[in-house]
Amino acid sequence: MKTIHIFILFVVVAVIQLFVPAKMILDREDVLKTGITYKFKTRPVDPNDPFRGKYITLNYEMDSAETNDSIWKRGETIFVYLKNDSLGYAKVHSVSKEEKDIDRDYVEAKVRWNYGNSNTVNFELPFDRFYMEETKAKPAEDIYRKYNRRRDTLNQTYALVAIKNGKAVLKDVYINDKPIAYYLEKGNNQ
Amino acid sequence: MKSKLLSDISELLENNIISQEVASNITTYYKSKEDDQPNRLFTVFGVLGATLVGLGIILILAHNWDNFSRIIKTFFAFLPLVIGQIISGFTILKKKSQAWKESSGTFLFFAIGASIALISQIYNIPGDLGSYLFTWIVLALPLIYLLNSKAVSILIIVFASYYACELGYNFGYKDSTPWMYLVFILATLPFYLKLLKKSPLANSTSIFNWLYVLSFTIVLGTFINSNWPVGFLMYAMLFGVFYNLGKVPIYKNQQLRRNSFTIIGSLGSVVLLTILSFNIIWEEVVKRASIAMNTQEMLIATVLLILAFAVLLYSKKNEKNERFNLFQYVFLIVAIIFFIGVANAIAATVLTNILILVLGLSAIKIGADTFRFSVLNYGLLIITAVIVCRFFDTDMSFVFRGILFVAVGFGFFLTNYIMLKKKKELNR
Repeated sequence: MKTIHIFILFVVVAVIQLFVPAKMILDREDVLKTGITYKFKTRPVDPNDPFRGKYITLNYEMDSAETNDSIWKRGETIFVYLKNDSLGYAKVHSVSKEEKDIDRDYVEAKVRWNYGNSNTVNFELPFDRFYMEETKAKPAEDIYRKYNRRRDTLNQTYALVAIKNGKAVLKDVYINDKPIAYYLEKGNNQ
Repeated sequence: MKSKLLSDISELLENNIISQEVASNITTYYKSKEDDQPNRLFTVFGVLGATLVGLGIILILAHNWDNFSRIIKTFFAFLPLVIGQIISGFTILKKKSQAWKESSGTFLFFAIGASIALISQIYNIPGDLGSYLFTWIVLALPLIYLLNSKAVSILIIVFASYYACELGYNFGYKDSTPWMYLVFILATLPFYLKLLKKSPLANSTSIFNWLYVLSFTIVLGTFINSNWPVGFLMYAMLFGVFYNLGKVPIYKNQQLRRNSFTIIGSLGSVVLLTILSFNIIWEEVVKRASIAMNTQEMLIATVLLILAFAVLLYSKKNEKNERFNLFQYVFLIVAIIFFIGVANAIAATVLTNILILVLGLSAIKIGADTFRFSVLNYGLLIITAVIVCRFFDTDMSFVFRGILFVAVGFGFFLTNYIMLKKKKELNR
């Protein structure tokens, strides 16, 4: 093969290499800009990924739903349709194995488990990682745990998530309507 | 080294051992060889440098710089990628040396990883490590062929194995079979075959020999799901493929240390058989193994069996008057024993033990016939291993065990001594 042919092929590959990350960005930007934001109440924690650094793992209060289907396979995709409760937090409207033709936002989650005889299915929401600067991940997790531990109605921790066509992008983690970064700064100033 | 050679040549010339022409031929030969040398060194350092810089960039980006805005972070996500692409494009267009190709390819490989990692951070993209590695490998794979790069090929094999382990050894939740690993490996094979054809004796080619064998050995376990006892059969078949591949002409005449297929095929079979020589294992096999063909494990074992058999026939076709070598048929015998083992644990245990003993004896015989001490002692070690193992699960008396040990110990001395003597006589 001639050099110029290899070079043209290389340019094609290079464009794909640029396109894939760009598409990742554009998809998320689209959801962030035009998607509808929901608040998901959280339960708390500082693992790390060898390539992507430190993050907090978020657990959500909303992690199960009533269902009439009794057979759910572990890891199966589940469509979780959403509604807002009286306090403005996301709640499950209904769950389904396939996309339903109703005018509600939904997220694609993964089934964790369900007991064969009960009609409750437990699932894992797909936005469970919130990346932090490495020095801040641990303090952030501590703050997150502190506020999550007190089970009073005064302290509410939740994740702000933009949702559009089943795709979800985690925007920020909030404690009492202030982003978690605010508490980190407060902690540093003290 | 060079000056010593030159003085030697002039000495040989003075004493009329070699002619002027031969002398000049020798000097030009070594000179051309030397011209080749710094280039190779430069390649190695270039690749090492690019790897370190690339990994460093990934780590710096993994810090998750909170103070930068999303736009600046996005810019930094693309910066290393674009730099890598420009250097690689320049290398291709200007037909730069192999050192350039290897180094720029390596850098671009890591830049791709850094780029998608940073975007995952900016947008809190969850996705486990497996799906991240998958995207990375797919984007980097074509570089092997475009840059004709061994380094990128090595990286792809290593990362594909990493991907397979991440996906397949995730016990319990989310445990799945990494089928895409096979696609990645298949995609690297044409490059390897080209290397094998062009320079079968090069050091870099033997790195690939080892890499493939180790990768397959490590990853095969990820293809085992619930029907795990059949995993033993799968591994036995894989080692059968390896051993017989090692007997194919292109590998057969290489030094043993380059022939990873023979080494791992033989060692793997022996280790596996030693495990299978315990009765408890076969009791589990009787209880839990399913030999239904519709299970994934049986299917893979069958494919590997057919593959091993095909390679066996191919190697036999090329070597008509080759001596009988039991190691080449081990996979067939294990397959038969396994089907007996599904029904009867005791029979399978006894047969496995006999097979190891016979294997050990045949290794001793091969070693003695070809005057190779390594093979002779390998055979003795196999026998020792099986005897040592039997001590753990039998009710033999201490005296009897002691006598067996002493006997095997004497066997070591005696066989080695006899062979040494024979060899000396032959040399005389």
